[in-house]
Amino acid sequence: MKKWIALLTAGALALSLAACGTPAGSGTSSAAASSETASEVSSEAASETASEAAPAEKPTEDRSGAPISLPDEIDSIAVMAPSIAETVVDLGCGDLITAIDTQTEAYALEGVPAGLPAFDMQAPDTEALAALEPDVVFVSGVSVIEGENMFQPLVDMGVCIVSIPTSSSIAAVEEDITFLAACLDRAEEGQQIVSDMQAEIDAIAAIGETVTDRKTVYFEISAAPYCYSFGEGVFLNEMIDLIGAENVLAGQEGWLSVEEESVVSANPDVILTNVNYIEDPVGEILARPGWEGVTAVQNGGVYTIDNKNSSLPNENIVQALKEMAKAVYPDLYEGV
Amino acid sequence: MRTRTKAGIVILAAVLSLLAGAGIGSVFVSPADICRVLANRLFGSPLPENFSSVTPGLVLNIRLPRVTLSFAAGAAAAMGGVVMQSVLKNPLASPYGLGVSSGAGLGAALVIVSGLGAGALGTLALPAVSLAFGLATVGAAIFLSSRLDRSLSNNTIILTGMVLSLFTNALMSTVSAANPEYSQRILLWQLGSFSGRGWEASAMVAAVAAVCLVGFLRLSPELDAMTFGEEQARALGVELRRVKWVLIVLVAALTGTSVAFAGVIGFVDLIAPHVVRRFIGARHRLVLPMAALLGGAFMTVCDLAARTLASPSEIPVGSITALIGAPFFLYVYFSHRRR
Repeated sequence: MKKWIALLTAGALALSLAACGTPAGSGTSSAAASSETASEVSSEAASETASEAAPAEKPTEDRSGAPISLPDEIDSIAVMAPSIAETVVDLGCGDLITAIDTQTEAYALEGVPAGLPAFDMQAPDTEALAALEPDVVFVSGVSVIEGENMFQPLVDMGVCIVSIPTSSSIAAVEEDITFLAACLDRAEEGQQIVSDMQAEIDAIAAIGETVTDRKTVYFEISAAPYCYSFGEGVFLNEMIDLIGAENVLAGQEGWLSVEEESVVSANPDVILTNVNYIEDPVGEILARPGWEGVTAVQNGGVYTIDNKNSSLPNENIVQALKEMAKAVYPDLYEGV
Repeated sequence: MRTRTKAGIVILAAVLSLLAGAGIGSVFVSPADICRVLANRLFGSPLPENFSSVTPGLVLNIRLPRVTLSFAAGAAAAMGGVVMQSVLKNPLASPYGLGVSSGAGLGAALVIVSGLGAGALGTLALPAVSLAFGLATVGAAIFLSSRLDRSLSNNTIILTGMVLSLFTNALMSTVSAANPEYSQRILLWQLGSFSGRGWEASAMVAAVAAVCLVGFLRLSPELDAMTFGEEQARALGVELRRVKWVLIVLVAALTGTSVAFAGVIGFVDLIAPHVVRRFIGARHRLVLPMAALLGGAFMTVCDLAARTLASPSEIPVGSITALIGAPFFLYVYFSHRRR
């Protein structure tokens, strides 16, 4: 008798555990099924309208090379990076944004509707995001951690995820803007933004090329004791080059943490910082022990650059470029 | 080899490591130049004309404090290891096992996520709060141990320390996970680093290490007695409970200060005592200062490697201590065994 009771209890426990396992599983599979049929319907509709009159063909591949199928009509956009949010607003689609990420929320960007749900771009609540049913979700390279896209569950559910990896050059940034404009059917506005941007860059580059005695610059994005800067392959490095200066870390690649010693021994002429999380970034650098002999510190050549414009790889880097130019060569770029 | 010669070798190693640490880096500064800079600062003697303008600041305010801090932290870790291994009669005992490192980590995490971690206030608040939390955790460990076991036996101390370590560690992980924008900074703090700490940090750790060394040396007869076991120590007239209290408090203060300024850097506390005992013998009167010197030298060399191998970036010192320490320890341990 005892044996039977034990077996029955074990069996009941096993069944209840299995049952606990399935609801979430069956939930996502039914959601996948419904979104699959939904995307089938929308792609049928898209091919119908495409055959009728397709003014501009939408991209079939996103900026990371992954295949995408954009819906014809985009009424709700989820933006998972502040750089993309700014561009979407500048393209005139700001009011179509229905979800943002926590960084965009923190920046409180103009043109983004207030009170939108904010998701962590590196650990998004994919269920909640899917429930909002956005037509398209734009994600940046920050959401791909060690090759794994944090939004993969949404991709599997059939939601249109468009990935725009962080661009490492100004040319690539302009391509991103053109691509985004094509996705949202705003090719003209995109063209305008890019040509305005390029015009300003060309004007600065023309002056930059005339510099014969290039100053050395150290651009810091994180203050002591965890100093962070960059070398080649970063759009900021290209910007330093454009204004006619040289990055002291130009021999290195990518973003890197630096030892104070290396910077002090490199003795930069000018120090730029876009640190905005401490009260007085310039004062902090000037007061750093061991930095007294550095040329930049001795001449007071330490300046702040707007954090947003120098961190987000989009059309607003031009504002940062102007700031940088005026900081390093105030006389040369007076008219800019 | 006579003990005096062996001691001489250890002292020489310590001096060489200090010179190497102060001279080698992104810029090589010869010992002569180091002396010139010191003389210029202390006595006002002029510097030669071709001297780079950045070298004095670099040597005085970046290199020398860093070398002092790494030496002091290494000495602190090694001494703490010697005492803990003797008190708990466990060759794998570590000063971090009392919960001081996890407690300090929790304190540091709280300061960082409160936003106080950056800026001028942060350089004061961070070490102060982590030290306070570290000491509080050890205090709790000793208090609980004495309540659970009047005689303060080793097993009780080990277990209570472990439980409190795990608990505070879990709290710190929760704080870090709840504040993802700060979790990288918390991790960096935990990994341990000597960069950018300044003279205040070095002076504090060095001072506390010196005071604790004196305290340990005064108790070295008791420490020697304790190596024979608790029963024998009592038979020899050692007031075991009181001595253990004092020793643990000293180790907590020593380790807490070191962790508060430099983070948690492992391995030195485990292997330096063993290497010294194998090399010099077991008498604490010798082992303690020699372990301090050897631990300091080893930590300085590891920090040198950490900041030069991947220049201009830095490898976390804890990785280097393990990478160099493990094979070195095996070599010393087994080469002596074969004899």
